[in-house]
Amino acid sequence: MPLDDDAVAEIYREHGPMLRRVVWRATSDANRVEDIVQEVILRVWKQAPEAENLRAYLITTARHLIVDQYRAAGRRPQQAQLVEVAEQDSALDRALDQVLVEEALGRLQANHREIVRCLYYERLTVAETSVRVGVPEGTVKSRAYYAVRNLRVILDEMGVTR
Amino acid sequence: MNPGSDDLHVLLGAYVLGGLSDEDHRAYSEHLRTCAQCQTELGQVSGLPRLLDLAGPAGGPHLADGPAAVPLPLMTEPDDARVTSLLGEVARRRRRRRTWLSGLAAAAAAVFFAGGAWLGPKLTEGTTPTPPTTHVAAAAVPGSAVRVDIALVTRGWGTQLDIDCEDMPKTGALALWVIDGKGHATTAASWRATATGYSKVTGATALRPNEIQSLEVRTETGKVLASAKT
Ligand SMILES: [Zn+2]
Repeated sequence: MPLDDDAVAEIYREHGPMLRRVVWRATSDANRVEDIVQEVILRVWKQAPEAENLRAYLITTARHLIVDQYRAAGRRPQQAQLVEVAEQDSALDRALDQVLVEEALGRLQANHREIVRCLYYERLTVAETSVRVGVPEGTVKSRAYYAVRNLRVILDEMGVTR
Repeated sequence: MNPGSDDLHVLLGAYVLGGLSDEDHRAYSEHLRTCAQCQTELGQVSGLPRLLDLAGPAGGPHLADGPAAVPLPLMTEPDDARVTSLLGEVARRRRRRRTWLSGLAAAAAAVFFAGGAWLGPKLTEGTTPTPPTTHVAAAAVPGSAVRVDIALVTRGWGTQLDIDCEDMPKTGALALWVIDGKGHATTAASWRATATGYSKVTGATALRPNEIQSLEVRTETGKVLASAKT
């Protein structure tokens, strides 16, 4: 049975913003973002999947829609940046993974995200991070631990299992 | 477990992300050789650096400085308007679906006790399947204009009956009867007529879908308004 209106609205309210960001950053075509997002929700409405991981299901559906549109577009040059970047489907997948990883970082608690930025992207040491953030080294270490664990959980929820 | 062991477990994070002092790195590498818990956890998160490398320069927009780092020109429209537009589309597709059903019911209306059955939407992706569902358009009996769509959903306890009806009587009570192979009829749902003549109710029966011979929507006086064989 298709879901009722309340269920559709709830899914849309809860997951719409995330989907919109992912689709927007994957296609950078503002005109089509809302269409794709609504189509994703409508498919879920129609199929009423009893998936225990709805977020991963939504993202997979969005991925299929984007890939389909990309193929249908025949790689016209004025199409989204993805199309320019992606010569092949694997490149497209990588581009989508990029968006999802960035989205996952965005979902991380702010003080954990800060630690990932310092340690990983800026290549600071634990001691340097401690000074930069203004917390003891022990706190940097434990935040790094929880940041890594939580990031894994968030990515799993998004269906990024690599 | 030695006293410093808890402190050592936690180094997993900075071991994966980088930034441990030589001393800590040595201590953790040593710890890792004998700690099964850390070995397991490391196995789960060792793929992260490769994923983090995928993110745009310096981790992408979420890691850029400033509070609202993600430029989203699309977030200006109030969300309620979007929800309304989405539900409008849902209603449009639902109507389209129902028009199809009632068209079929109308075609069958000439034949008393006729009905149409077909399978519900199929799943295409490899997700957990929805319970097997059969849609039945109950044909209106002569002299009745009602339109009834019943979805038979297979459940562990029997059959769930999702009833969608239109152009129904506007007063009195209505009921859905299920009739088994022996002609034995039981009520699976009863409801009060609405002013719009439209109602959507859910009933239940212990019969399995294949044990249901036919379905009838009746008034409280027992008059049959629509029926379908399954
Ligand atoms: Zn350990």
